[in-house]
Amino acid sequence: MKRYRATFVFVLIVGSMVGLGYGLFGPQKATAAVLSGLTLAALYFLLGAGLSLIFGLMDVLNFAHGILFMIGAYIGYTIFGNPRLILNTAPLFLALAAGATVGGLLAQRIPDPTPRRAGSVARYLRYLLLLLAVAVAVWGVRGFPLRPLVAFEPTTAGGAVPTALAQEPIPRMLVRLVQLVLAGLLLGPVLAYWKQEGQRTSPWRPVALGAGLAALAVLLLLGRDVLERFLLGLSVDVRFLLALVTGAATGAALGVLLETSLIRPFYGRVVTQIVLTLGLMFVGAELVKFIWGKEGRPPMAVPSLFAESCRSPNLIAWLTERCSSIDVLGRAFPTYRLFIIAVGLVILIGVALLLKYSRLGMIVRAGVQDSAMVEALGINVRRVFTTVFALGSALAALGGVVAAPFVGVYPEMGGIFQLQAFIAVVIGGMGSYPGTAAGALVLGLARALGDTLVTTGIALPGMEQALRASPAVARASTVLIMAIVLLVRPSGIFGRKI
Amino acid sequence: MGTLLEVRDIHTFIGQFHILQGVSLEVPEGSITALLGRNGAGKTTTLKSILGLTPPREGRVLFAGEEIQGRRAYEIAAMGIGYVPENRAIFVNLTVEENLRIAERRRGDLKRRADFIFTLFPDLKRLYRLPGGQLSGGQQQMLAIARALVPENRLLLIDEPSEGLAPILIQELMEAIRRLSAEVTILLVDQNFQMTSRLADRYFLIDDGRTIRSGMMADLLKEPEVIRRYLGAVV
Ligand SMILES: Nc1ncnc2c1ncn2[C@@H]1O[C@H](COP(=O)(O)OP(=O)(O)OP(=O)(O)O)[C@@H](O)[C@H]1O
Ligand SMILES: [Mg+2]
Repeated sequence: MKRYRATFVFVLIVGSMVGLGYGLFGPQKATAAVLSGLTLAALYFLLGAGLSLIFGLMDVLNFAHGILFMIGAYIGYTIFGNPRLILNTAPLFLALAAGATVGGLLAQRIPDPTPRRAGSVARYLRYLLLLLAVAVAVWGVRGFPLRPLVAFEPTTAGGAVPTALAQEPIPRMLVRLVQLVLAGLLLGPVLAYWKQEGQRTSPWRPVALGAGLAALAVLLLLGRDVLERFLLGLSVDVRFLLALVTGAATGAALGVLLETSLIRPFYGRVVTQIVLTLGLMFVGAELVKFIWGKEGRPPMAVPSLFAESCRSPNLIAWLTERCSSIDVLGRAFPTYRLFIIAVGLVILIGVALLLKYSRLGMIVRAGVQDSAMVEALGINVRRVFTTVFALGSALAALGGVVAAPFVGVYPEMGGIFQLQAFIAVVIGGMGSYPGTAAGALVLGLARALGDTLVTTGIALPGMEQALRASPAVARASTVLIMAIVLLVRPSGIFGRKI
Repeated sequence: MGTLLEVRDIHTFIGQFHILQGVSLEVPEGSITALLGRNGAGKTTTLKSILGLTPPREGRVLFAGEEIQGRRAYEIAAMGIGYVPENRAIFVNLTVEENLRIAERRRGDLKRRADFIFTLFPDLKRLYRLPGGQLSGGQQQMLAIARALVPENRLLLIDEPSEGLAPILIQELMEAIRRLSAEVTILLVDQNFQMTSRLADRYFLIDDGRTIRSGMMADLLKEPEVIRRYLGAVV
């Protein structure tokens, strides 16, 4: 019964928005606005799905989620257009991770600074280790030719990166790797303490993992020229696919890192988590500025399916003509945005199926209600948390890559899209998966209609010019719709009563 | 008959509160042992401490001879302990089938045990596709017990199963628990002394977070004074 009421409210809201759009702007512009709204909705959804799942299952408000979206976008963009930067920097990160993985084993050697024994040497030992680790890491990256590596000019097709960009000689890079492994070894115990684990786990897994990471780092480094030539020789489509996969995988890996090191120790401490993740948001944005520069970059090149500069009359024709835009009631609409909508739909359905039919999904649905009982059944709930965190992070990063050919990449994109995704999740009902999709749709439509109001305005009878809204109205439209929805349904469209 | 579970002088804190201040008990294999005590005595906390949901800060818990205190709850449960909590904790958004399937520890657990579960609780077969939230209190109780039977557990911790059930259902429940005890060792907590006294062979009585008495149920029944004083029940 309640469910039907929520669906009814949702249909009512969307229906009235679309109806209003058609009434105000006419079918041509309203249809374009709806399609734009769907595009935005898809992006909001990709970001919001993780936020909502993570909040529902773990009660964590992850204010660092937008970072993953942004880093996904940047990584995808770089893999696509300038793999040399990745091939030269990834080994450094891998070396640090390898060191930290093995270093975590040393944590058992350090006495546990329980609150009751505050002031013990162990407490200071950790800060000392952290300081040392940072110092060694700085030593390891000092003088790394980041600027020349970043300064590339993407061409429309991507790929044509000038080869004159500086690369450090392999021996120098190997020295850096060793230094970073050292830094990692020092950092490991600090992180492992926060993780509060590593007691009865076998030492071989971390050692094997660390060795694997180190080997990967060296392989990437030694093969950097071959790999770069190989990557740039691939077709645009393959490279785009690679960007999607790499971006999402990076997101998943960062999600695991984030959850195990910074989120896990603070479950149940909401304020700490908010402050921590919010802080991380700023750190992440600064990190992105540090690596890729303060300036954003223009939209990434699109795969060949969306690249020809022409306008296809319909979808069928587009498949053969591969035009960059398609005719919608006499207006051109970029085909790549249809792709964004499709990705959103595929993920929406995929995750829904996962939640409904997989064992993981079943555990998530149960855990949202009572994670202690799930644990009491013999299920490692922490691992499920990490998995869901990784999944949500991967979706956000995927959203970032998908967005890159649409909005480009810039250091503020994480914060901007995160805010919208949060609003979408709140509109839909915190922790409800269908709610997130519904909220994203409502928000996307509101934003697109607001934009149309700004660009075309409303033609009122008896007036010479159409009444145009200022751009601020478009931005305010999202907050306005949230206010309206929350007035009608305080816990969101599909939210449970609080 | 060996001792399956042994709790030695555990102390458990919830936040700042020192809730358990020395609970000890032993559960012999193949029997029903009752954990008695008035409201707020610490019975639920004892069960949760055994399972690691509220890990004891001091003391030892031995299951099948192995020390388990300090391990994570999922590891303890996976050693073969089933938990039927006092609020039943049925997953309301999962169907009855899913509520059972989620308890599988190995593929096919549910299939293997389905016949046993359905002879014990025939109603569940009829309700198989219904969401857990639509079940009545009695049905939820059956489901909670059934869920603990899906994997091959050696010990069941059952907390207040008769709470809120109509007398006729309590009869059914007692019958089910009695039949269960042929298969699995049970540590039973219930306010309904009529029920526990008829089911259990041995008892442990706790008050204010401490074990104060233990022995054979038959002997306790000869001491109406104790029963009245600590359980408020009249035999
Ligand atoms: N989360 C909590 N915070 C503070 N005190 C708690 C908490 N949980 C339980 N207690 C206290 O611990 C004591 C023991 O509680 P417990 O639930 O174990 O008792 P019980 O014997 O199971 O009682 P009942 O028969 O009512 O179920 C009670 O006094 C209760 O008030
Ligand atoms: Mg209780």
